[in-house]
Amino acid sequence: MNYPIWVVPYLGGPWVIGIISIVHIFLSHFAVGGGAFLALAEQIAYKRKNENLYNYLKGHSRFFLIITTVSGAVTGVGIWFSISLVSPDGTASLIQSFTLAWALEYLFFVAELATAFVYYYTWDRVSKETHLLLARLYMVFSIMTLVIINGIITFMLTPGKWIESHNWLDGFLNPTYFPGLIIRMLIMAAIAGMYALVTSSRIPDPHFRTYMVRFCAKWLIPIFLLGPIVSFWYLNQIPQAAVQTIFTGIQTSGLGNFSILARALYLSMVLSGTIILFAFFGPYLNPRGFTFRIAILFMICGLSVTGTTEWMRELLRKPYVVYNYMYSNGIRKTEVPDITSAGFLNKGKWASALANTPECKADPGEVIYRYQCMSCHTVDGYRSMKRMIGDRDEESVVGFLNMLKEKDPEKNPYHGIMPPLAANDTELKSLAHYLAGLNGKADGSAPKISHSAQSVH
Amino acid sequence: MVGDTRRGNKLLGFLEDRFALSTLLHLAEKKKVPIHRHSVWYYMGGIAAIYLAVQVVTGILLMVYYVPEIQSAHASILKINSQIDFGWFIRSLHSWGANLMIAVVVLHLFSTYFMKAYRSPREFTWLSGLLLLVLCMAFGFTGYLLPWDDVSFFATKIGLDVAAKTPVLGGIIADLLRGGEAISQATISRFFVIHVAVLPICLLGLLGGHLLFVQMHGMSEPDAFKNLPSAKKTYEKFFPNFFFKDILVWILALNVLFVLVMLCPWGIGPEADPFGAAPIGIKPEWYFLSMFQFLKLVPPMIGPIEGELFGILLMGIAALAFAVLPLLDQGKSNSMSKLATAYGVIIAIAAIALSVWGALS
Repeated sequence: MNYPIWVVPYLGGPWVIGIISIVHIFLSHFAVGGGAFLALAEQIAYKRKNENLYNYLKGHSRFFLIITTVSGAVTGVGIWFSISLVSPDGTASLIQSFTLAWALEYLFFVAELATAFVYYYTWDRVSKETHLLLARLYMVFSIMTLVIINGIITFMLTPGKWIESHNWLDGFLNPTYFPGLIIRMLIMAAIAGMYALVTSSRIPDPHFRTYMVRFCAKWLIPIFLLGPIVSFWYLNQIPQAAVQTIFTGIQTSGLGNFSILARALYLSMVLSGTIILFAFFGPYLNPRGFTFRIAILFMICGLSVTGTTEWMRELLRKPYVVYNYMYSNGIRKTEVPDITSAGFLNKGKWASALANTPECKADPGEVIYRYQCMSCHTVDGYRSMKRMIGDRDEESVVGFLNMLKEKDPEKNPYHGIMPPLAANDTELKSLAHYLAGLNGKADGSAPKISHSAQSVH
Repeated sequence: MVGDTRRGNKLLGFLEDRFALSTLLHLAEKKKVPIHRHSVWYYMGGIAAIYLAVQVVTGILLMVYYVPEIQSAHASILKINSQIDFGWFIRSLHSWGANLMIAVVVLHLFSTYFMKAYRSPREFTWLSGLLLLVLCMAFGFTGYLLPWDDVSFFATKIGLDVAAKTPVLGGIIADLLRGGEAISQATISRFFVIHVAVLPICLLGLLGGHLLFVQMHGMSEPDAFKNLPSAKKTYEKFFPNFFFKDILVWILALNVLFVLVMLCPWGIGPEADPFGAAPIGIKPEWYFLSMFQFLKLVPPMIGPIEGELFGILLMGIAALAFAVLPLLDQGKSNSMSKLATAYGVIIAIAAIALSVWGALS
């Protein structure tokens, strides 16, 4: 509400972030897991004097370098662009809270990139010992980027003691930090194995291909064995309300009236089962028949599990961007009473300027929609407001919006699912007028809003 | 392997003595699958079979709660969807599975067509496959009415009216299916019996024959592979090599079905009102859409012949060409082979274009 906001028609801004982020996760997890894969495989090649493995690693590292440094870096920057445009208040909050962590993240990222290039361009140009050292250095730098970013990602769901202390270390080493870190490392190892299976399936020599397919598949064993245990640990650390959302979703799934969170959970479980079966019937029982096409399908399954699990994690955080602190529309939980009494358009710097500067002539109802609803809804695309408003006239929209202001879950079934509406009565009516007007059901002209001049500027 | 079963395990030895497992294994191992750039199409039959298995299991479970009675049919589906534990899941598996099965059977048909797998000695494999597609569409048509919602009611009404226009037997078949002048209790009873008894029996027989022919003649080889020198031809054993890959593809196919069911569970429209107006823009299921759109495009009269009748005759001839194809293209004439390919391409493009047009109009 303090910054300009980006309107993305039909798709909605969060999906832009979501799509870029999911692609980035696929690539960045490969960058970290793949670094460990290269270092360990090169160590084996070095110890066993396995020239076949050396030659394979040279080819695989080219694939690795292109995928991680080009696509990974582009999507990484893409995340920054999209989050600062779609959720500027949330982004500002994360930067202000973790300035040192971001600086360290950037430092390790630059070191990681530089080492990756040196590693790739020094094949056969430096001694094997030095090259192995470079591989290990890359592995350490890439793991450090994970160690740092994991603190910020997990903070968003479980800010822990930070809510009271506002000490960045309390937020960083939050309750899900360690289980989150271990899960991500297991996923990264699995993804590294699956990417390597793709390049291994192209090896012409059937004996070496069989060896490599089995070697790469072993990288999935840790997640098969430890994944369920660490997931249980992780679920024990997340907020009780989020756990309850999962259980409610499971309990109601028998009758089909179940949440999207439960669907994501089931999808994640089934896709994980698929990975296990795939690994058994593919690399274990029939490594010679593990073709490039099968490897690609296997990887798609693996990435789908990762994507679904990340989606589930995002769903668990709703309706917050930082759990119990800041709502997905950038309004802090503690600010809601103040905004409700003083008026949203008298509080938000950019929003109030939009609504109050005479040259702007912006519809106050539309300004409130953009700042409070558009973080999850679009006018006529994803979670379409037109569809959700349906046949409601302005009066019933007013009733619905009043319900969204209620803090009692008995009176407001959307409590805990949607942020509360933070607006005074006149603003609420102007929002209702705008929303009803989307389907041509608005009554007369928009209500007049009086503003306190001093808070505008 | 034969010896292994006796030496390695008493249970296997017991089974070997009674069921001659080694003979079956020998048969499976003898079957070879050619490896070439179009090998991926060999998986289509297996995927269709796994979707069929889903249809059988979910269909039986749905029968437990479904009531084929005009006053209760819609309510029973509502009950399955919202009161029976995981009823929505089973019904969604059945509905999505049916659509996916038909899509895969169509893909299977066109892939075998373009690989010229209809040529001697596989004429009956081809014909039985064609009939299996017709059966699948008949399953779709009869199953579509059973929920008794307004869209299914009016789509079936239009479908039967069109079928009645078919010369000679069309009117009789439509009357037999309807059980009278209008869609009524008699129709729903007949559709139910056809859907759960008549068609499955026909399917079992035809599928058995189809699989037997596939086993007898082996996997067909496209011309480009057949003409290679023996040294350059590569094969893999059906069992275990291809079979294990088949399992992977089945798992993926089931995943596709599961994702669709989870993200878009199958709903149900308002109960059918035979005296009400048909919903605006009503369309049949996607696999009938190209035919429906084609009939919409035909002028009301073409010379002395009624437009719809002309359209039905034209589509009948186009379908018949597929059936008599093994007689026309036996691989002896290059020009005939090219003509057959061109015909297949035209039909495929026309079907896709008309379906898209129908969906958008």
